[in-house]
Amino acid sequence: MARSRWFWRIAFLAIPLLLYLVIVVGPLLYSFFFSLTDWNGFSFDFNFVGLENFSKIFVDPLFGNAIKNTIIWMAAALTLPTLGGLALALALNSRMRGARIYKSLFYLPICLSLAVVGQIWIWIYQPRWGLLNITLDSLGLVDVSRAWLASPETALIAVIVAWAWQQTGLAMVIFLAGLTSVPTELLEAAQIDGANQRQSLLRVVIPLLQPASVVVIALAVINSLKSFDIVYIMTGGGPFHSSDTLAMMMYNESFKKYFMGYGSAISVVLFLIAVVLIAFYFRQVRRLENLYD
Amino acid sequence: MNMRRFALLILLVVALTGLPVLAQDAPEGDTFVTVMHYFTGELGREGLNTIFGNFQEASGITVFDNPIGHEDFKTTILVMAAGGDLPDMFSYWAGARTQFVVDSGRLAPIDEWWDANGLSDVVPASLAAGATVYNGARYLVPFGYHYAGLFYNPTVMADAGITEFPTDWAGFLAMCETLKAAGVAPFALGSMNRWPAQFWFDYLLLRTAGPEYRAQLMAGEASYTDPEVVRAMELWKELVDAGYFVADANAYDWTDAADQVANGEAAMTLMGTWITGYWNGNGLVPVEDYDFFPFPSIDEGVSQAVVGPVDGFVVSAEADHMQGAQDLLLYLLTDTDAQTTWAQGQGALSPNVNVDPSIYTPVMQKAADVVAAAPTFAFNYDLATTPPMAEGGLNMFAQFMNDPSGYVSYLEQTEAVAVEVFGK
Repeated sequence: MARSRWFWRIAFLAIPLLLYLVIVVGPLLYSFFFSLTDWNGFSFDFNFVGLENFSKIFVDPLFGNAIKNTIIWMAAALTLPTLGGLALALALNSRMRGARIYKSLFYLPICLSLAVVGQIWIWIYQPRWGLLNITLDSLGLVDVSRAWLASPETALIAVIVAWAWQQTGLAMVIFLAGLTSVPTELLEAAQIDGANQRQSLLRVVIPLLQPASVVVIALAVINSLKSFDIVYIMTGGGPFHSSDTLAMMMYNESFKKYFMGYGSAISVVLFLIAVVLIAFYFRQVRRLENLYD
Repeated sequence: MNMRRFALLILLVVALTGLPVLAQDAPEGDTFVTVMHYFTGELGREGLNTIFGNFQEASGITVFDNPIGHEDFKTTILVMAAGGDLPDMFSYWAGARTQFVVDSGRLAPIDEWWDANGLSDVVPASLAAGATVYNGARYLVPFGYHYAGLFYNPTVMADAGITEFPTDWAGFLAMCETLKAAGVAPFALGSMNRWPAQFWFDYLLLRTAGPEYRAQLMAGEASYTDPEVVRAMELWKELVDAGYFVADANAYDWTDAADQVANGEAAMTLMGTWITGYWNGNGLVPVEDYDFFPFPSIDEGVSQAVVGPVDGFVVSAEADHMQGAQDLLLYLLTDTDAQTTWAQGQGALSPNVNVDPSIYTPVMQKAADVVAAAPTFAFNYDLATTPPMAEGGLNMFAQFMNDPSGYVSYLEQTEAVAVEVFGK
């Protein structure tokens, strides 16, 4: 009996494990391997260069620039969609008319692929007939309107706004789910104790939303490390690297400059950053679980 | 026991359906050929469909083709090369990009096939020397080529009172001033994707420092901080500072710039002959609605090189269907109907001397004449220098169009890239 149970365990685990090895672990090890070479991506042969690619990372101004932009992205990701989603969730959790329609509307962008989101916002930012500049011009703010994606000062933030527009809906849904788990007894008890609306929000609701917040924040951090697709669509990291993120730079070095070894080294660094953040996330989740058990 | 059999069955089904997908490939034999190319949408997809269809009918060889847009093509072909799964043949840009793949050992030389078919009598010697030969062997079959010139809107020029087109720098500046006074921006430029700006750098450098110096710069034997390069950038800066370019060049694509010329907002754009294909597709009539003149000379005594790209096809070193690939290549280059369809559809110039010039529009005939009379055919910047260097240079051009005042520091940054790329 015990033997056959083990057989089934292994049999059922074998397929996903095999897929995991082939699709995730294999390429990961491959990247580690190539990060120690000068492979150009095309040739059959390459040389081992030790840690040369990694030492280049520390002096490459483009890498510093990409790190800076990724940190800006992360900071924006932690604030814009998180606060926006929380505000929307709190507003729409009440019994206002048409709340369900609004929820659907705010959630809708999540159903679009980031490529589509990027294209929509390219049109919004279009300098001549884009919605944004036309609106600004009609408000008399001619000095404010500009070529948003073509100016190095605004390109990064313009892409982040487009991205946050989509992510806010996701944060809202997670917070809404979190709000349903806030027991009404606690709110009533707070009311009886004389708490006003602001107090019950800050002292009761928001602390109870902590599990949802952890999910939203973790998603924001991980997604900002992954930020590539929408950048690729909207600016390609440009103009002249002003909107380069780590993922975008990794792509450019590997596929545009044919420095596959260096690109792999960047991906290894990106992987290490992600590991640290994910470890932190798991620690938080475990702490929360202990708290509620 | 039944459960176990069931599970094993599922495993088997997964294995049987999964593995063939992984190993999928075109059928063996010589009646097939797989082709990847970047001729999509406005760059000749339709014409190529016709050509492949005709070839299939005439030869009985089935063409599996896969068109991918320029930028994505560069990545896709790299990924396929890394996976050891290159198509039998693929379109590629003659010059440093082909050199790069040749150096990586992924292409099959075609010298014997070229000689056996007497192709040296088909392709003009000047074109063949620069575009087809790498490291002493022949690798690329030219399919079409282009020439970059100043394409203008004749109505705008006539309205501004311009009837003669300048051949020297003073005349060129005077014309710009006239246009500006008439309330038209002389130049449209859509450098959103960076490359359209390169033709300015190419011509300004070629007309001042000459083709030999430029070749040295492209090969990493000269410096971006040399006075020659600084002078070219200064000339460019004068044009931008004078307000001759439509504002926000980096916000637009080359087709936007073409539209700005077509609708009279700008007088001209420095672009390749593929712009004629785009305009023809939009219903513009050659000569009547658009025409071109060559980039004027700047310094006396400097040879009047022309700039442009050569599109060709190369054969993978591991091609499974070598015969099919060779038959298709021969057809693409030597069949005058195919060449005519391509030249007319894409707005390309034919590398085949047997193609009757009368198939061209008058504007393209003029372009062919200009190229034929030129002492040097130079590849445009991103095809003349290695891919990682081109990345650095193209960035510099976009940076320059955003704010020309920092050109000295941009050149220093670019030289730093050159030092790294060429190991100077």
